[in-house]
Amino acid sequence: MSLKNAIGLWFGLRGKSFTGYAFVLHRLTGIVLTIYLFLHLAFLTSLTQGEEAYTALIRKTVTPTFLPFDILLVGATIYHGLNGLRLVIAEFGLTRYHKELLWVLGLIGLILWIYVSYLLYKIVVV
Amino acid sequence: MEEKNVVFVVKRFYNDSEEERRYEFTASRGMTVLDGLYYIKDHLDATLAFRASCRMGICGSCGMIINGRPMLACSTQIFDLDSDIITVEPLKNMDGIKDLVADFNEFFEKHKKVKPYLIRKVEKSVEEGEYIQTPDQLKEYRQYALCIKCGLCYSVCAIAGSNNEYLGPASLASAYRFMKDNRDEGGEERLLLVDGHDGCWRCHFMAECSEVCPKEVDPAKAIQMIKRKAFIAAFKRLFRR
Repeated sequence: MSLKNAIGLWFGLRGKSFTGYAFVLHRLTGIVLTIYLFLHLAFLTSLTQGEEAYTALIRKTVTPTFLPFDILLVGATIYHGLNGLRLVIAEFGLTRYHKELLWVLGLIGLILWIYVSYLLYKIVVV
Repeated sequence: MEEKNVVFVVKRFYNDSEEERRYEFTASRGMTVLDGLYYIKDHLDATLAFRASCRMGICGSCGMIINGRPMLACSTQIFDLDSDIITVEPLKNMDGIKDLVADFNEFFEKHKKVKPYLIRKVEKSVEEGEYIQTPDQLKEYRQYALCIKCGLCYSVCAIAGSNNEYLGPASLASAYRFMKDNRDEGGEERLLLVDGHDGCWRCHFMAECSEVCPKEVDPAKAIQMIKRKAFIAAFKRLFRR
């Protein structure tokens, strides 16, 4: 049992099917969200220096430069959340149709992602 | 007969030496990957080692990684593969013995751990006759009884690849097969064996095990159904106290 083999099985795409891709993307978005959580907590610590320091920091991030990152972050959150919901439903043995559910939730997630991205665009750019 | 040139790239190893060996030959339509390996052994390199027996997808001996995916070599047509370059590797998550021959000892040890046989509180004598079962009762577990222990599900499982103690999809599916058998009376005993960190709860539901299963056993579903049984049992225990 080698580390290379384990990483290949957890994150590799070669030879995997659609549910395998969903699994890999779930791990990757999970890592992204964990990193974001720590960044978010680090940002929040600026509150200890007063409201103005916090607002100034947040203002720096609400810019067109950060918009693509925000949109990707929203995408990661929506995917991780909806796929997580699918996994909970499947893991309780509540559905046989977990693959079909992936398509349905994927479509819902895509619509939600486009809508939220539009809202973010309106806030930051327009 | 339709023919084409193919290159088999075989991952070979023995003791500590490892190499990729290329074999080029003309394959005809109807040849399976296993036929290709036999051709190599008969005509190009007699030292190539692989395991095979029935040649018709029943014995489960010829499981190997073909173009990155676990498959039975005897059930995989060369002409059905996308590429003319065919990579063949031994199954993952198992130690290797030589070339394409993987060591199944650990796999079968884990299988034994789930007590894959009927457990009866009192055994019937032969004179008393067989245990009668209706077609509907058989239908309950038949799908899970089709497992041929080829190890493809175990080989594709990310959890089995990173945790030596994890029982794996085949063993868990086998446990569920007996849980669903109305003749079995070892439900609680077996549930205790699979309801743990290295049992059903270790599964992260990638479900690739069900995708690669050549017999459509659906081990992923079996594992989730064990989780449900374990959850209900734990819930009941909570109120029994």
